[in-house]
Amino acid sequence: ESILSQIRSFEYSQKNAVLVSVAALGVGGMLVYWLRSRDKIKTIEMGDGWWGSGERPLKGKEDESIRPFKIETSDKEIEDLHRRLEQARYAPQLEGAAFHYGFNSSYLQKVVAYWRNQFDWRKQVKVLNKYPHFQTTIEGIDIHFIHVKPSYIPHGRAVQPLLMVHGWPGSFYEFYKIIPLLTEPARHGLNEGDTVFEVICPSIPGYGFSEAPHQKGFDTIATARIFHKLMNRLGFKEYYLQGGDWGSRITMNMAQMLPQSVKGLHLNLVFVSRQGLRRMISVMLGAYVPWLVGLTREDVRRTYPFIQKNIYELLRESGYLHIQATKPDTAGCGLNDSPVGLAAYILEKFSTWTDKSFLHKDDGGLESKYSLDELLTNVMIYWVTSSIVSSMRFYKENISKDPGLTADARVGVYVPTGIAAFPQELVHTPRVWAKEIFKNIITYSYMPRGGHFAAFEEPKLLAQDIMHFVRKVEQL
Amino acid sequence: SLAGIMLLEVFLLLGTVIIYFLLSKKKEETLPFKEGWWGKGQKPDTEEDTTIWPFKVETTEEELSDLFRRLDQARFTEPLENSCFHYGTNSVYLRKVVSYWKNQFNWKKQVEVLNKYPQFKTKIQGIDIHFVHIKPPRLPEGQSAKPLLMVHGWPGSFYEFYKIIPLLTDPASHGLSDEHVFEVICPSIPGYGFSEAPHKKDFNSVSAASIFYELMLRLGFNEFYAQGGDWGWLICTNLAQIAPNHMKGLHLNLASVTNMGFVHLLSVLLGRYLPGLFGFQDEDVKRMFPFLKKGLYRILLESGYAHIQATKPDTVGCGLNDSPVGLAAYILEKFSTWTDTEFRDLEDGGLERKFNLDDLLTNIMIYWVSGCIVSSMRFYKENLQKGIGTQKHERLTVQVPTGIASFPHEVMHTPQAWAQKKYTNIVSFHFMPRGGHFAALEEPELLAEDILQFVGKVEKEQLWRKK
Repeated sequence: ESILSQIRSFEYSQKNAVLVSVAALGVGGMLVYWLRSRDKIKTIEMGDGWWGSGERPLKGKEDESIRPFKIETSDKEIEDLHRRLEQARYAPQLEGAAFHYGFNSSYLQKVVAYWRNQFDWRKQVKVLNKYPHFQTTIEGIDIHFIHVKPSYIPHGRAVQPLLMVHGWPGSFYEFYKIIPLLTEPARHGLNEGDTVFEVICPSIPGYGFSEAPHQKGFDTIATARIFHKLMNRLGFKEYYLQGGDWGSRITMNMAQMLPQSVKGLHLNLVFVSRQGLRRMISVMLGAYVPWLVGLTREDVRRTYPFIQKNIYELLRESGYLHIQATKPDTAGCGLNDSPVGLAAYILEKFSTWTDKSFLHKDDGGLESKYSLDELLTNVMIYWVTSSIVSSMRFYKENISKDPGLTADARVGVYVPTGIAAFPQELVHTPRVWAKEIFKNIITYSYMPRGGHFAAFEEPKLLAQDIMHFVRKVEQL
Repeated sequence: SLAGIMLLEVFLLLGTVIIYFLLSKKKEETLPFKEGWWGKGQKPDTEEDTTIWPFKVETTEEELSDLFRRLDQARFTEPLENSCFHYGTNSVYLRKVVSYWKNQFNWKKQVEVLNKYPQFKTKIQGIDIHFVHIKPPRLPEGQSAKPLLMVHGWPGSFYEFYKIIPLLTDPASHGLSDEHVFEVICPSIPGYGFSEAPHKKDFNSVSAASIFYELMLRLGFNEFYAQGGDWGWLICTNLAQIAPNHMKGLHLNLASVTNMGFVHLLSVLLGRYLPGLFGFQDEDVKRMFPFLKKGLYRILLESGYAHIQATKPDTVGCGLNDSPVGLAAYILEKFSTWTDTEFRDLEDGGLERKFNLDDLLTNIMIYWVSGCIVSSMRFYKENLQKGIGTQKHERLTVQVPTGIASFPHEVMHTPQAWAQKKYTNIVSFHFMPRGGHFAALEEPELLAEDILQFVGKVEKEQLWRKK
C-alpha cells in the first residue's frame, strides 16, 4: 500500500508539474499573442493639418474640386533664363579633380552651352503636358498630380490604381518613361500577367507644381495623409503604392496609416533604422558567417566592407542632407537665383547616385545613362516653380527629431510589400534587416543594374518587378 | 591555480597601463615644413621670383553694373511663418539687406577704405600671396615694432582686422598702453580674397602655414608673433609647430581640440558634477553644460556647411559664385549665428546689433569680386576629408608660449584643461566678458587688450628664449 501511495503521490506531483508548466505555457502564449496582436493593431494616427497661409478659416468647407492643369511658359521666362545662363560665373576646377570635389566646372560649362543653345523648353513643356495634369486643394494647399489611365483595357483585365511618389532632387517627371510600361504593358513587350495600371503621380507639397506649405512641421506623415485624401477624392478605396527616396518613406507612412486602403507597397529604397545592438552584432558576424545572420552572398557583396560602404561613403555623400536638414533657406537661396548653380547641385546627385564610380569621370558619367534633355527638364521644373528652397525644407521637417522617437519608427508595416534592391543604390538593405519593419515581404529582388533613380534610369526593370510583385499579391 | 590567474591579471593590467601611457605620450617633434608648388601646370625650372610688389584693390563700372543687374533680378523664397533664422537666413531680412546693398552701400568708397592700408603681393610656391602690411606711425623712444602675423578664417578675410589694426600699431592714440607696438601683417589665405587659389589638390593648413612662414622670412622677420581664429587658429598653430624657434608667441581666440579621447568623454559625462576632478572652472561648466544642448546638438545643428564643404565644395560654391544674393545669405548666416546662437530667434538675425552693414557687405564683396567662394570652400575638404583628428599635426603639441582669449559666444567652448594638453605652454587664458566667433571685428578693443597683456607677459619673462 505504501508503494501504491508513493506511486500515487509521485503521479500527483508529476501531474502538478505538468499542469503548472502547461498553464504557464498557456498564459505565456496568450501574453505573447496579446502583445503581438497589440503590435498588429497599431497604426499611425491620421491626424489633420492646415498648411495654407495665415489662420485656418473656421467657416466653410474646403473646395474639393479637381481642376485640370497645364504647364505653361512665356518668352519672358525663357529670356530671363537665357540671360542668367549667359552671365554665369565659373570657378576653374583643380587639376585632376574629376567629380571628387563636386560638379566639375569644365563639364558644367558644356552642359550650360547645351542648355542655352540646344535645349528647347517649349518643346519640353509639350512633352510634360502629354499626360493629363490636375490640381486640387487639400489642407489649404494646391496639390498637383498627373493621372494617366490606360488608353485601352484588354478584355477581362482589371485596372489597378497605382500611386507613385518621387523624391529629392526628382519630380513627377521621373516616371514619364515607366508610365507607358505600366498603363500599356503589352504594347511595350511586357506581357506580365493580367495587370494593367492607372497611374497617379503627385508632386510632394513644396516640390514642382504643388504649392509649398506655409507652416512649419510639414513632414512625411502629413504628406501621407494628404495623398490618402487625394486618392479618396479621386474615388479610390484600395490602391497600390510605389516609391523611392522620400517617396519610399511617404508610401511606407501611408501603409502604416491606413493599411486597409493599401493593397500593396513596392519600394526601390528601404529606410530601416540602423540602431540597435542586435544590428551591430549582425553586421560584425555577417562579415564572417553571413548565413548565420540571414545575409545572402549578394547582401554581403553589397554591404561589405561595412565601414567603407556604410559609414565612410555615406558621410562623403551626406553633406547635402546635413545642410538641408539644418539650414535649408540658406542652402537654397543662391540656387533659386542661379540656374547654373541649381543645375550643378541637382545633376551632381544624378551622377553620383546612379553609379559611385562616376566620381572618377571628368563628365560625371551623366550622359552614359541619361540624355541632357531629360536631366535639364527635371532641373527646369525646380527652376520655373522656384521650389528648391521649399524642397529642401522637407529635410529639416523630417530629420530634426530623434529618429527613434518618431511615430513611424515603432509601427510595423503589415501590407504586402515588394522590394527591388538596385545594386548602385546608396545604401543596401538586406531582406533580413527589412523584415524588422516590413512584416509581410512578398517579393525581394536583387536587380541586375541601376542606381537610386530607378524609374528614370531602368524603367523596364522596375516595371517588371512591380508587375511581378502585383501578380503575386493578386494571387494571395 | 588562483594565484597564477591573479598574477596574470595583474600583468595584463600593468601591460595595458604601460601601453596606454606609451601611446598617449604626446610627441614633441616639430612638424616638417611642407614643400609644394601650387601654380598652373608644371613647375618651371627657373628660380622663383621673390619680389614683393604693391597692390591696390580696384573696381570698374562694369563690375558694379553687373552686380546691380544681379541684385535687381534676385529671386527670393518667402520664409515659413515664424521661422526667424531657424531655417537659415530669413529672406524677408535678406531683402532689406539687398535693398541697402543696391541703394546705399558704396563699393567705390569701400575700396578706398580697403586701400587705406598698404597692400602687397608676392609669389610663393607658385601662387601670388596677397597681404596687408602696416607699420606703426610713430614709435616710442628706444622701442622697435614687434612683427605680428594675423590670419583670418572662413567666411572672413583680411578685412576683419581693419578695426583692430590701429589699436595694435598705434595703441597710445586709442587709450591703450604703448609698452608694445606692433607692425601687423595680415595675409589672405591662398584661395581667399586677393591671394591666388592653388591649382593643385592637397593644399591644407600645413601648406598655408609653410607659405606664411616663407612670407615672414621674405619680409625679413626672424622672430614674430602670430594671432588667429577660425582657420587662422589652425594655420598659426601649424606655424608654431613648424617654426617654434621663430615664433615668440601664439595668440588664439579659438582653441579647438580635435584629438578627443576617453578622458574627454568621461569629463563630458561627469564634468558637471565633479568639475574639479577634470580641471573645469565655474565658467567652463557654465559654458559647456548641459552638454547635449551646448555641445553635441549645437555642433550638429551648425556644422552642415562644414560637412558639405568638406565633401562637395565645387557643387555648393557654384551657385554662390553666380548669385551675389545667395552668397550674402550664406555668409551672413554665419555672422549672425556665430556671434550669438540666440540670434536665431530674431527675425533679423541680430546682425546689426554687433556689426554695420557696410562692414558685412565689404567682406562679402571681397568674396564676390575675387570669385573665391569655391576655392575658399575647398580648404575644408583639404583639411577635413579624412576626418577630424586623423592628421599627423593634430597629434603634435605646441611648445610656443600661447595666449588664449576665450569668447563666451564662440560656437563651442574649449576649457583650459583640454587646451593645455595640446598647448603645453599656456601663458594666459582669459574668459572674455562678451563677444563671439568674429572677435577682431566685433570686439576689437577686448581682443587687442588681451593680445597686449599676453605679449607683455611673454616679453617680460623673455619666455621665448627659454626652450
